[in-house]
Amino acid sequence: MSEPRARLTSPKRYELVAAVLRSNIASGGLPPGFVLLEGPISSLMKTSRAPVQAALRILEDEKLIYRFGGRGYLVGRAEAPAAPMRRDIGKLGLRIPNEIGTALQNRGLWERVYEEVETAVAACLIFGEFRIIESELGDYYGVSRTVVRDVLGRLHERGLIAKTQSSHWVVGALTAQSVRERFQVRQLLEPEALRLARDRIDLERIGRVLEQERTRNPSTHGPADGTQLERALMDSCILRAPNGHLIELIRQNQMPLAAASRALTKLGLPEDEIAVTEYLMLFELIAARAIDAAAVYWRQHLKALAEKNLARLKIVAVISDAQFGVSYLTPIELT
Amino acid sequence: MARNTRKLPSPALHSQRTLRVLGTDISLLEAVRKRASSDLGFKIEFEVLDFPNCQRKAALNPEAYDVYDQCFHNLAIVWFWGALQPIDTAWLSCWSKVSPLTKSGGVDKYASRGFGDAPMNKLYVQPDHSLGAEETQHIAMLPAVHNFDSFGYDTRVFNADCKQRESWGMLFDPRAKGKLALVDEPAIGLFDAALAAEAMGALHFENICNMSPVEIAALFKFLSAKREEGFFRRCWRTGQEAAELFRRGEVAIQSMWSPAYNELGGSAETIKDAVPAEGYRAWHGGLSIARHVTGPTLRMAYEYMDWWLAGWAGAVMARQGYYISVPQAVTEHLSAAEWNYWYDGQEAAEDLLGVDGETVVVRKGARRSGGGYLERARRIALWNTVMDEHNYATRAWIRFVAEVNGKSR
Repeated sequence: MSEPRARLTSPKRYELVAAVLRSNIASGGLPPGFVLLEGPISSLMKTSRAPVQAALRILEDEKLIYRFGGRGYLVGRAEAPAAPMRRDIGKLGLRIPNEIGTALQNRGLWERVYEEVETAVAACLIFGEFRIIESELGDYYGVSRTVVRDVLGRLHERGLIAKTQSSHWVVGALTAQSVRERFQVRQLLEPEALRLARDRIDLERIGRVLEQERTRNPSTHGPADGTQLERALMDSCILRAPNGHLIELIRQNQMPLAAASRALTKLGLPEDEIAVTEYLMLFELIAARAIDAAAVYWRQHLKALAEKNLARLKIVAVISDAQFGVSYLTPIELT
Repeated sequence: MARNTRKLPSPALHSQRTLRVLGTDISLLEAVRKRASSDLGFKIEFEVLDFPNCQRKAALNPEAYDVYDQCFHNLAIVWFWGALQPIDTAWLSCWSKVSPLTKSGGVDKYASRGFGDAPMNKLYVQPDHSLGAEETQHIAMLPAVHNFDSFGYDTRVFNADCKQRESWGMLFDPRAKGKLALVDEPAIGLFDAALAAEAMGALHFENICNMSPVEIAALFKFLSAKREEGFFRRCWRTGQEAAELFRRGEVAIQSMWSPAYNELGGSAETIKDAVPAEGYRAWHGGLSIARHVTGPTLRMAYEYMDWWLAGWAGAVMARQGYYISVPQAVTEHLSAAEWNYWYDGQEAAEDLLGVDGETVVVRKGARRSGGGYLERARRIALWNTVMDEHNYATRAWIRFVAEVNGKSR
């Protein structure tokens, strides 16, 4: 057990990214007016864009960076604007403290394993119950028991797996009952979170999404992406509610639904086009700051969405059990 | 599509075209195909598959057929895969004559509606493209062939002379241990087993046609125990297989489909079609149009659907024990003796022939079990159903059937 056991409680990736940027702003490595763009930062830090987005928002809240007319953020304070400086952040020779660099790299391995396991788990929960064999999982990825435990711990936290009385990790089947119950929870929590988030909604992003969809030409841009619209709603509105505990509950409740939905789409199940127009209707209400009406509308939408998800789950029955290429997931017989 | 384009007489054009129909052997008989083709003036191809394979192909490969001839309960799957298109009832000349069983849920107001997927609940296309009972101009499936199923049993094993009360619970009667078969289709056979378990008092379902995961687990625990005790002989997928099991004396009791009674040969004397105290497991078939169909093929599809309900095909179906959704049209194509036996529940006034027009399938003096159409249609316990937990139940069912059939071979 050479690896530190502290991974699960170690700083989150966006915190690490924020720390690197913060220290370089303080040291002058990132000068006032420097244009910070998500893409180049994520390649420099070898991470996806989501933690970079979150890190930039934190720094904006800390008033270390600010938005301007163009894409990205400018280093410095909005009250003392500097001329935008567009240079390759990779060539600035930013200082990345050793411990943070190592943490980012370790986290990279950890997260890659996590992401793959999460995808495999999500793909199998529509086919019934499965047991996860810890030793097989470690062998499969060539990682230590500590990493395996961290990965499983996170899956557990996110509600994707459970531990039986005999201490076995199992992937519970995604039943219609659990779908129905989770949608009931969504109907209870999400409209309320939207109300609480009233003054913190990213109206600019919602405006951009609306503009983009109004001018969408399906023949050149393809159909609207429901998943992206849902993400915009979550990140820019609902998850901005000033109640960390509530946000955690919402995230955890959604996780298996979202994972299963991605898996179903991958299997070729048709997407629901009507849902897209419903999201846009909701965004119109939010953009008009009719938040109470939007909350009521969202509750109704979730009710209808539950029915559609149930219908979608039934039709999976025509697909034979997938041949899992992963040795660490074994089916559990019902009888 | 404008309504006034309907029914353009274009036989010359049609004669070069082919309408492809996907379905099961319930209704896709060769005699029907030939007659439809000659009456309608275009070629017709039938592709006949068993239930699960037919449904899978319909859902995943809609380009492979034009018309889908199957059951209402599997609309829960095929419709939601987006494989079918709404049928405009204004384009159908038969629509106003379709019986109230599908339009309002029962043959009359006193009839039992039954649990589960009553066709009415899947009939009309709703504004949000889902299916429901709220009447609209468009339907997902044109109701056609249907029946009220039960099980068949060997009277020699069950001493039927004593006029015992017939119940689904008989499936697990120890006298038939080792000689039980079920139809292998989770939206059908699973309910035969569930009706039996509930009738015996072994299990109780809050809603037998919408079981919870806990109830499903309990049902499979029950079935697994019965399998280990040695009750099961086989699970079958076609009526011919069922008939053969009885003919060979391999089973003493099993799920049964009406045409299989006509194929029992010498065993017919001792096999009885049960009238279960709990009621029948009903099903309703119909015709749908694949999503991709347009233009002349679409017109052919509508003509074919109207033809199905015009009487001739319904008469053929009657001779294998099935009913049709426009019964009055059938009277012209059945003899009085046939109508009286198959639809009216009266004693056969003469020997009656089967669909081949040669084989005697009903002896003079026989009476159809369960009585006339209305009498049988009023006693529906449940409908073949795709439950909310269908996916979960299907996977358990597949494993159960593999165990039964693996051991019987």
